[in-house]
Amino acid sequence: MMAGKKRLTPEEIVKSFKDEFKAKIKNTRIERRTKGSSKNEFVHIWMKIDKSSFKDSVKHLATLQKYPHLAVASGNDLGKTIELIYHFSIYYGVPLGEISINISVELPKSKPEIETICDIIPGALITEREKQEMLGVTIKGIPDSRRVFLADDFPEGVYPWRKDETGPQKMIRNLHEVKK
Amino acid sequence: MKFSMLVQVFTQMFKKPFTNKFPAKYIPSSTTKFLRDVGSGKAEIIPPIETPDGFRGKIVYDKDKCIGCKLCIKVCPSGAIEFKPEEKKVKFYLARCVFCAQCTDICPVNCLSMSNEFLLADADKYSKNLIVE
Amino acid sequence: MKTKQTTKTTYRIPIGPIHPALKEPVAFEFEIDGERIVDVDVSLGHVHRTVEWAATKRNPIQILYLAERICGICSYCHPAAFALAVENIANIEVPERAEYLRVIHAELERICSHILWAGVAAHEIGFDSVLFLTWQIREKVLDLTEYLTGNRITKGIITIGGVRRDITKEHHPKIFETLNYLKDNFEKLRKVFLDDKTFRMRSQGCGILTKEDALKLCAVGPTARGSGVKKDVRVDQAYFSCADLDIECITPDVLTGEVNGDVYDRIIVRLLEVKQSIDLIEQCIDKMPVGDIVSEPKVAKVLATLKKAGGEGIGRMEAPRGEVIHYVKLVEGEEYPFTWKVRAPTYNNIMPWVPMLKGEQIADIPIVAASTDPCMSCTNRVAIVDSGKKYELNKEELHRRSVEKTRRFMA
Repeated sequence: MMAGKKRLTPEEIVKSFKDEFKAKIKNTRIERRTKGSSKNEFVHIWMKIDKSSFKDSVKHLATLQKYPHLAVASGNDLGKTIELIYHFSIYYGVPLGEISINISVELPKSKPEIETICDIIPGALITEREKQEMLGVTIKGIPDSRRVFLADDFPEGVYPWRKDETGPQKMIRNLHEVKK
Repeated sequence: MKFSMLVQVFTQMFKKPFTNKFPAKYIPSSTTKFLRDVGSGKAEIIPPIETPDGFRGKIVYDKDKCIGCKLCIKVCPSGAIEFKPEEKKVKFYLARCVFCAQCTDICPVNCLSMSNEFLLADADKYSKNLIVE
Repeated sequence: MKTKQTTKTTYRIPIGPIHPALKEPVAFEFEIDGERIVDVDVSLGHVHRTVEWAATKRNPIQILYLAERICGICSYCHPAAFALAVENIANIEVPERAEYLRVIHAELERICSHILWAGVAAHEIGFDSVLFLTWQIREKVLDLTEYLTGNRITKGIITIGGVRRDITKEHHPKIFETLNYLKDNFEKLRKVFLDDKTFRMRSQGCGILTKEDALKLCAVGPTARGSGVKKDVRVDQAYFSCADLDIECITPDVLTGEVNGDVYDRIIVRLLEVKQSIDLIEQCIDKMPVGDIVSEPKVAKVLATLKKAGGEGIGRMEAPRGEVIHYVKLVEGEEYPFTWKVRAPTYNNIMPWVPMLKGEQIADIPIVAASTDPCMSCTNRVAIVDSGKKYELNKEELHRRSVEKTRRFMA
């Protein structure tokens, strides 16, 4: 599948990103752990990228491996900003060679917008729709922007993953607090 | 073989069925009459299959050993345990118990264990059979 | 195709959200032209239970049991992935014996799940005797699970730092007896599924997912492997003790020499994986080192360690249906996690349904949808609105159409 392309080590991968994007990349860390008796190691790379160069960084990732595997995108509400973390993995198919790359982007709450990556990785559609409804992020250019997990009559403006006033606090009913 | 399943189906006709027919071979037309017959010895309930050791059934609580540390309440995933502050003992509501046995693992004085009783169906959530204290 | 005179248009059939052919509540809308499907639209969200929100009110030990109840058939992979994520955050070192025990339970669950799927696939085609044969075999494996862990389905055997129960020499006779029973019956299953003409007629050439589509849509599990993509977390990344064992990624060309990406190929992948799992359990019992089964037996100390830990981590493992990934973020000083994101493998396998179903007939919908092994089971009816007249296709009707197609092939 990948004959002829050289596989880079984790340090080289981080270096190639840093060379390409210079100051837009912050907080990289490489975690290595070993498992089992033969002490084989697995590698997770975490990177934080500026919002403006997010799409270019995904294109750069696609040059390292033709179809990077997007597992899912998770989100955090950090007070004034919303953080989206995209969990990619490359070099699958090579025994004990897969490397997980987690790219996180921070968006300000006043303008939570980001571009879609569905043109590079079509399989990202469902996870992007989920971020739109759960966190209130607007994804520009998404081919299909209907709700995916919440019901159609769920009120607008209530975002279940947020911890501020737009969270779902008013919709909770504690069913088990009937006196036993 | 083209239709190998036919051979399999044919041999099954001569084998004992895999299902254990608990409690009776056919559904009785009147459950209360069936239970009366069992009580007087006219009919028999086929027993269920033996449970293995380590089966997680109804919880058994040794009240005297309990010290009221509340560690079991901290780890119960479904909130099935209630603390009684006056006596410093606990009360289990089996209607909410998920039979995970985490409380038995964490108890520092080993006053809890899981029996192999599993026939606990009841119509009332708070009946005597489903509260252990 | 519309011309000025005729008014030939396509019908729209909604199937779901709850339906016999699908095992997860998913709402489809098919546009059909005669009996051929022209377009598919999928909508999800019918079993949304706010599990991720419920975790923000529970400590990590309680979340293990909450995670188990996300799904009934793959109920081991969710607490396992959660434990992997938390162990990555808090740098908890798991003893080697516990890693081998975890692999044994994971493979037992894989066997149960694939055999269950084989029975359901046979039922969709109309071959009910095979359903009962496979589920009879599965009962023996469930008995073994009950003997080792205390319960048949929600095992409750994983804990943070290891496992809760050990497998000693006294358990070995029953394990080997069950494995031998499985090996004898595996030959029977293989003959029925792979050599029997009925299965081949219905499944070859049906529901094709090309390798290109599988890569672009990020398919996982046997759905991707049946199309020739070598994605398997056990082989690619070291987790538990899979790196010490002899595992290889199974694709259909191991048996037939070519890859078509149809339903028949996925049947091959799943059956060969059952054989591989039996082999892996034997390897694990052989190589198991002595030692502890959990890194910290006192649960109260584990909770205290996790309260002090902070950071984020991911845990990935290979469930019977594909790759499961959990993301956890813990905050120092707080017992409850800040965020927990669960991604079950079926969510990545939903988008491949669209290219698989285009061009197929209605009677093929059950077998194609079931071939990706979606993850829950329910029943309901289908309504067709046909230019003013309303009639309902209920469960028996749709199943009857699928069975009739088999009979037509056999005649």
